[in-house]
Amino acid sequence: MKLSDKVAAEINSIKSRYQDPRSCLLPSLYVVQKADGWIAPEAMAAVGELLNVPGATVKGVATFYSMFRHKPMGRHLIQLCTNVACLVMGAEELVDILKGKYGLEPNGTSPDGRFSLVIMECIGACGTAPAMLVDTDFHENLNEKNIIDTLENYK
Amino acid sequence: MITVTINGKQIKLEKPVSILEAAKMTGIKIPTLCHHKSLEAYGGCRLCLVEIEKMPRLQASCTQYVTDGMVVWTETGRVVEARKAMLEFLLINHALDCPYCDKAGECDLQDLVMKYGPAAGRFTEGKRKHPESYDDPIIVRNMERCISCTRCVRMCSKVQGASAISMVNRTSKTFVEPFSGGRYNCEYCGNCINVCPVGAIMSRLHKHTYRPWFIEKTVDTVCSFCGVGCSVTAQIRGNSIVRIIPESEKGLNRGLLCNRGRFGYDYISNSGRLKSPMIRKNGSLQETTWSEAFMYIAQKIKEIKEKNGGAAIAGVASGRCTNEDNYVFQKFMRLVVGSNNIDSIAGFAYAPARKFFEKIFGQGVTANPIQGISRSDGIFVIGGDPTAINPVLGLQIRAASQKDIPVATVGYAPGLKGFAANRLIPKPSTEAALLAALLTEMLKRKPLPAEKTPFEEIIGKIQPVSLNEAESACGIASGEISACVDSLSGMTNPALVIGRDIIQRSEGQANLLLLAALAQALNGRIYLSSELPNEQGLIDMGCLPDMLPGGRPVAVDSFRKRYGEFFNAEVPSAQGLSLMEMVEGAHSGNIKALYVMGENIAFNIPDNKFVKDALSRLELLVVQDIFTTETTRFAHVVLPAASWAEREGSYTNLEGRMQHLKKAIDSVAGLEDWKIIAEVSKVLGVDMNYRDSRDILAEIAKVSPLHKGVTYEDMDSGECMWPYKGEPLRHDLNIVGIDMPDMKALLKKPEKDKVYIGVDKVLFHSASLSRNSFALNSIYSEPHAKIGKNLAAKLSVASGDHISISTGAGAIELAAVIDSDMPDNIVLVPNNFEGRGAFRVMGWKMNAAFKAPALDGMEAVLKKLERVSAEVSE
Repeated sequence: MKLSDKVAAEINSIKSRYQDPRSCLLPSLYVVQKADGWIAPEAMAAVGELLNVPGATVKGVATFYSMFRHKPMGRHLIQLCTNVACLVMGAEELVDILKGKYGLEPNGTSPDGRFSLVIMECIGACGTAPAMLVDTDFHENLNEKNIIDTLENYK
Repeated sequence: MITVTINGKQIKLEKPVSILEAAKMTGIKIPTLCHHKSLEAYGGCRLCLVEIEKMPRLQASCTQYVTDGMVVWTETGRVVEARKAMLEFLLINHALDCPYCDKAGECDLQDLVMKYGPAAGRFTEGKRKHPESYDDPIIVRNMERCISCTRCVRMCSKVQGASAISMVNRTSKTFVEPFSGGRYNCEYCGNCINVCPVGAIMSRLHKHTYRPWFIEKTVDTVCSFCGVGCSVTAQIRGNSIVRIIPESEKGLNRGLLCNRGRFGYDYISNSGRLKSPMIRKNGSLQETTWSEAFMYIAQKIKEIKEKNGGAAIAGVASGRCTNEDNYVFQKFMRLVVGSNNIDSIAGFAYAPARKFFEKIFGQGVTANPIQGISRSDGIFVIGGDPTAINPVLGLQIRAASQKDIPVATVGYAPGLKGFAANRLIPKPSTEAALLAALLTEMLKRKPLPAEKTPFEEIIGKIQPVSLNEAESACGIASGEISACVDSLSGMTNPALVIGRDIIQRSEGQANLLLLAALAQALNGRIYLSSELPNEQGLIDMGCLPDMLPGGRPVAVDSFRKRYGEFFNAEVPSAQGLSLMEMVEGAHSGNIKALYVMGENIAFNIPDNKFVKDALSRLELLVVQDIFTTETTRFAHVVLPAASWAEREGSYTNLEGRMQHLKKAIDSVAGLEDWKIIAEVSKVLGVDMNYRDSRDILAEIAKVSPLHKGVTYEDMDSGECMWPYKGEPLRHDLNIVGIDMPDMKALLKKPEKDKVYIGVDKVLFHSASLSRNSFALNSIYSEPHAKIGKNLAAKLSVASGDHISISTGAGAIELAAVIDSDMPDNIVLVPNNFEGRGAFRVMGWKMNAAFKAPALDGMEAVLKKLERVSAEVSE
C-alpha cells in the first residue's frame, strides 16, 4: 500500500521535527488514522518504510494505544457515553435510536459507511448528560430529537 | 571502594554494579526471568526483588545499583512471599501444559515455581486462549505460555538489530509477534528461541522429538559454516545431534548464533550422504570397497607420476576441512606426489588479500580479534555485507552502531542499512575511484607522519583523485564522499572489514593497495571476511601453491630444505599452480590428475561449463566429499568423508584463533579426510603413521614454525590466538612487487546501458553445502535475482516476476526481487542452488597478479518472462 501524497507530506513534515524517527510514530499514525479512519497493516508497513522504523516496531506501538483503530471505520465516529449519569438521562434510548435510524450497533458501522459507534466510558460531561463525541466535536444535553439533528450535519 | 553486605556476606567493589551482579560475585543466586546476560537490565518481571535495609519497599536487584554500606537480604520471608505472588500472577495466564511442553526440564518458570510455589492458584476465571502458531517453518510460537518478559523482543532489536518481532496489544492480550502475525520475515538467527525462559518461542526442528533429560551427552565444538568460528554446543541422543545451542559464556560469540549455525546442522543427517566408496566402471560410478578404491587411486597416481611427472597432478584443499586434514593433504601432495599444485577456493580472494596485506604490513596483520570491532571508534565496510557472510561478526558492527560509533559502508550491504551513517553505493566496479578519492582527502586532512617508511613512499606515489573525478566515475555526489571523509578523519583506530567482492576484480590489486593505504592513514585494523570455517587454517597449513606450513614461502631454499629434511624427502622447488591454473591445465591437458578434498569445484568456480569440460578431460579425478555433487559426477573415484560433526581436529578462524573441533557423533559411512589420504599414501609407500588427529597436530607443532607446541588443550582454553607460541615470518621492509595502479584507467565510467551480473551472498546459504539442509531450504528455498528499482522499471518487472538472465555461457530463469538500494546496472544471483547458480552463467578473466578469477564486467542480458495466462479474456 502506498500512502497518499498528502499523508506522506504530512509525515515528512513531522519527521523534520524530531531527531529520532521513533518519536514520529504516534503523530504519523494519527495522520494515517485521520485520513483512512483506521490503521491498516499495510499502512503500518508504509509508515515504517517512510520513517525508517521496522514494521514490527510500528505494529507494537499502533496496537498498544487503544485510540488507534484496527478495523475500517465509518466516515464519522460517534463516541457515546452510557455511564451512570448519561444512563440516568436516557443514553440507552439514544443507542436504540441510532440503531433504528442508521442501523448502528455498538462497535459497528452503519451499512452506508457513514457512521461508526463506540460506547464510551465517562467523557466528563455528567452535568450536561447525555453527551457524545462525533469525530472531535463535543455534543451535550442530547435528547431523542437533537441527536438526529446534530448527526444530520455529518454527511 | 564500595562495601556491600549481601545475606551477611561482605563484598568490596571498585565500582558500582547492580545488586544482582554483586550477589553473583559472592556466589548468591537471585532468581530472574526478564534478566539476561546479553541484554540490558529491564526490571520487568519483579522476580529479583530483594530487601534492602533502610528502604521501605522491596527493590528489583537487576536495576538497583549497590551503594556503600548497603545491607541486602535476598531470601527473607517477605521476599519469598513477594516472589510467590509474582509467580501466581504469571501463572494466571500461563498454559501449565508442562507435560506436553518441550521446554519442561529446562524452563526457568517451572524451576522457579518448583522453588517458590504457589502450589495452586486462586484465580478461577478462564485463561486466555491463543492458538499455537505453525505459520513459520522453523519457529513455533505458543503465546499462551508467554510471560511477556520481552527478552526475545529486546534480543531482536538491541542485539540482533533486526527488530523483526514486537510486543503487540496491551494488558493480558499482549503477545510477541512478527510483523505479519504469522510467518517470520527475519534473519532467523534464533536468538529469540535462545533467550525465551519458557516454551513460548521454540524451534520446530526438534519439536516433540526428545525431552531435555533425554540428552545423553553434550559436546562443545565449533560451528561449521563461516570463518567466524562460533562456539556451539551439540546435544546428542543416540548418535544424532538433536540440537545445536550456543553457551552464553563460551567462545567469541557469547551466546549468539546465526541461522546457519543454529539450524543448518541437519545436513549431517541428510539421507543423501555418500555411504560407500565408488569407482567409475564402464562409464558409471559403482560401489566398491575402501581397499579397492585406495589401490585404484594409488595405482593411477603412480602411473601418471611416472609418465608425466608430479607436476601433472594437482590437489584442491578445502576450507571446510580441519587444519589436520589440510596439513596431511599438502604433505601428501608435496612429499608423496611431488607437486606444489595445491590450492583451494580460498585462493580466489581470502588468500591473495591476506598475502597482499602481509607483504605490506607483515605476517598476521589480519589477525585481529572480532570482539574488538564493537570496541573500535569507527568501522569501514567494503566488498560485501558482513551480516550475510559472517553474521556474528556483523553483529559486532551493529552493536558498535547502537553505541553511536560511526559506520561507513561502501557497496551494497543491505544488512547494515539503518546502521551505517555513511552509505556509499558506487556504480559497479568503480570502488577504486571512490577509495582513491577517500584516500586523497584523508591525506589532506591527516598527512602521514614524515617517517618515510617504504610503504609511505608508495602511498606518496599514488596519483591523487579529486572528489569531482570520483563523483563522475562512481556516481556518488562529492558531498557524500566528503561527509564520509569527515567521519573517517575522526577515527583513531577503526576496523576495516573487507569482503571478497572488492578482491575478485581485474583491478583487485589496486583496490587492496588503496585499502592498505587507507588502513595506514586511518591507523586501522583489517578484518577479512571469510565464507568458510577454515580458510585461514588451510593457508597456515600450507595449502597454497607457494607456501609451506607456517606461512613459509616455497621459493626460499632454507625453508624448503628444513621442511624436506624433517621428513627426509625432497620438496619440489617450482611454485605450484593456482586453482584456476589447475582448471586451465586440466582443460589444456597439462594436468592429468586432480585430487579434490571436500570442495565442489564444478559448482563453486565461475563458468561451470568450462570447469566441467576440464574435469571430463582428466585421467584421474578423485573426490572426497560427504554428498554427491556436481564434481563427483565427473569423478573416477568418489570417497565418502566424515562430516564436520564426525571428526576431531581444529579450525583457525578469520581472526587467527585456533579452535578445537570435537567429534560429536560417530560417522556412519565416511572416514576423516586425513585418514583417507594417509591410506592412499600408505599404498604409495609412504606410511604417515598417524593414530589420530592428535598425532597430526603434534607433527604440525614441530613442522610449522608458527604452531610451535600447539595442543588441543591450548585451544580449549579459548586463547589460542595468532601467532600461537610460534614465530611469524619476520617482515622484510623492502616492499617489492606492488604495481602502481593506473588511476586514469580506473576513473573510466562503466557503460550505462550494460547490465552486469554479480554474486549475491545469501544469509541463509553457504556455498553448495547448505542445499542439503532441510531447515535452511525451508527458510530460503528458491534462488532470486536481485535488481535495483530503475532496472526493474526499465524491464517493467515487479517483485516476483520471472526474468531470464543470459550471458555467452547460457541462461538461467529466476524470480526477481527488487531492492531500491542496488545500483542500476547490476543483477545479483546467489551461487547455492543446483542448476541455477550464478557461476553457471558467469564467466571470468584471469587476474594475473592473484592468478585467480576476476568476476567484474560480466555482461548479462535480462528479459522479463511472460507467464502464460490460463485465463482467456473475452
